[in-house]
Amino acid sequence: MTPDPHPQRVRVTAPRSNAAPAPVAPSLARELTEQSEIGEVLLRSLIRSQLRLALVVGGAFLTCLCGLGVLAALGASFPLLPGLPGLSLAWLLLAVLPYPAAIACAAFYARASARNEEHFRELVRDKP
Amino acid sequence: MTPAPSLPPALAIGAVAAVALTTVLVGVLGLRISRTTSDFYVASRTVRPWWNASAIGGEYLSAASFLGVAGLIMVNGAQALWYPIGYTAGFLMLLLFVATPLRRSGAYTVPDFAAARLGSNAVRRATSVLVVLIAWFYIVPQLQGAALALHTTTGLPGWVGSVAVVAVVVASVMFGGMRSITFVQAFQFWLKLAALALPALFLVLWLAGRGAPSGEPIDALGAASGNAPAIPASLVAPDGVYRTVSVMVALLFGTLGLPHVLVRFYTNPDGPSARRTTVIVLSLLSVFYLFPTAFGILGRTAAPDLAGQADATVVLLPARLIDGPLGAALSALVLAGAMAAFLSTTSGLLVSIAGVMSQELFGGSVHGFRVAAAASAAVPLGAALLAGPQALAGSVGLVFAFTASTICPLLILSIWWRRLTAAGAIAGLAAGALACGSAVLFSAIVPGIANMAVLQALLGQPAAWSVPLAFAVMVGVSAVRRRPVPTAVDRFLVRIHRPEAYEPDPAREATRSSR
Repeated sequence: MTPDPHPQRVRVTAPRSNAAPAPVAPSLARELTEQSEIGEVLLRSLIRSQLRLALVVGGAFLTCLCGLGVLAALGASFPLLPGLPGLSLAWLLLAVLPYPAAIACAAFYARASARNEEHFRELVRDKP
Repeated sequence: MTPAPSLPPALAIGAVAAVALTTVLVGVLGLRISRTTSDFYVASRTVRPWWNASAIGGEYLSAASFLGVAGLIMVNGAQALWYPIGYTAGFLMLLLFVATPLRRSGAYTVPDFAAARLGSNAVRRATSVLVVLIAWFYIVPQLQGAALALHTTTGLPGWVGSVAVVAVVVASVMFGGMRSITFVQAFQFWLKLAALALPALFLVLWLAGRGAPSGEPIDALGAASGNAPAIPASLVAPDGVYRTVSVMVALLFGTLGLPHVLVRFYTNPDGPSARRTTVIVLSLLSVFYLFPTAFGILGRTAAPDLAGQADATVVLLPARLIDGPLGAALSALVLAGAMAAFLSTTSGLLVSIAGVMSQELFGGSVHGFRVAAAASAAVPLGAALLAGPQALAGSVGLVFAFTASTICPLLILSIWWRRLTAAGAIAGLAAGALACGSAVLFSAIVPGIANMAVLQALLGQPAAWSVPLAFAVMVGVSAVRRRPVPTAVDRFLVRIHRPEAYEPDPAREATRSSR
């Protein structure tokens, strides 16, 4: 928490605990925990953008997979090596290619979702 | 089918004993630093991403991956390559839809999470029952794999393998809890990788050194697959396409509901590290699955007759291809890796059952955890001893279908849809479980169904319709009685989606984990 720029006057009296806490200007971070409308709107937009990101990345990966499946079905009769007729192009397409695609999607998502969260933090951070 | 032992029994038993002993030893060492209740359940949430990722890999790579993938490739050819793709890419879906929010929820188990989100004890009970069922169904093939591996290599009766796995696992889980299990699992991932990678490389070099494969094995390849052109044909036939799609739905969306994988995500320190962990897991699995695939291809080319005992291919192949002590040693190494696979998956599942059961029945004490661990190992052991052998990758695939039809919609809708209600969740869980379970049961029991290809495919691989059904029921029932969303739900969603502050306050972390 950064210090409040306009500190309220604090009365220094003996048993402080009995008094209600002095009202402070609510920070955005606090509004968020207290379910104020602004906080709710911000958080909902974060949730929406994270969900959109997840759906886009997931959709992209599934599309890649479908493409590979179709290619593999087409390439099932192309031998990969001369002399090994059992090992067709389908093997290469399915045994190797999906994995880099999955890792790339995962790495992209991890970075992009961290960026979404960073953006959100910028919004709620108390400005001096 | 009682094949002659392919390994000197002393060597095989020595390999198995070495793995079992190391497991117990690492578990006991872990006990020294595992003191509090939180250590027991979630390793006090202090496991670093690389450790955690290795541990997840260690726990996840089960008999189905270690033995089953190569076995399926032996029998079904390129079609079987979809299984490892699904097993790996399931973690992508886990990352996209559940990893971070789940970690931030601060719940111990899936039932805890569901109860906190929906504020309902009925949901908690329903989820607990499902988690225990899923874990039991998942343990059975592990024990069958152990029986198979030990039987084919040493000729010992199958039950010895199952009983040995259960004994070692119960001992290490009861005394170590989650913290020591993390070390054990991480160690076992690297053991499994080495135990497949080294022999696979050796075999490739050996075959290459012997010169290009002669014409004979290639002819045999056609014979092994029975009808070699059937593979491309089944790729285009409607029931073949449906089966592939359904298997992929099951594996992609089943992974994010697996209780033993989810429980590991609670051990990450925070949300971003849960994401990093998942990316590392994906990379580790991608490397790992190259080797069962290599074994499958080697088996098809060099020893197609092994298709008769396909699931044991990985263990039998080195000794078959390389004569003498080198081949036997490599086979023993693979056997040790397989043993690690049975042990680690079984212990991960047992930890998650014991966590759920002891929360439900024993108020979450450490003593309850131990009692629950012992009790919950007995049921799958009995089932494994009674049931006949199945194709490992196939039966584990069905567990994924069941998880995808139950836990997956519950988690995804809980996290991303604020209008989900307890009634909707229970209805959806029931619909998914009944649809998926009864379909699989029908396809196995009803005679004559094998002749109807389409019906057999629809019932034998139900995920493609049972998962959407479960989602639809959850959404439908929740939407029927539209009520304002309780503030508790919004508060929960804030908690699971809100990014952590830059430096998590250690004091707050401490109070949260001790709660």
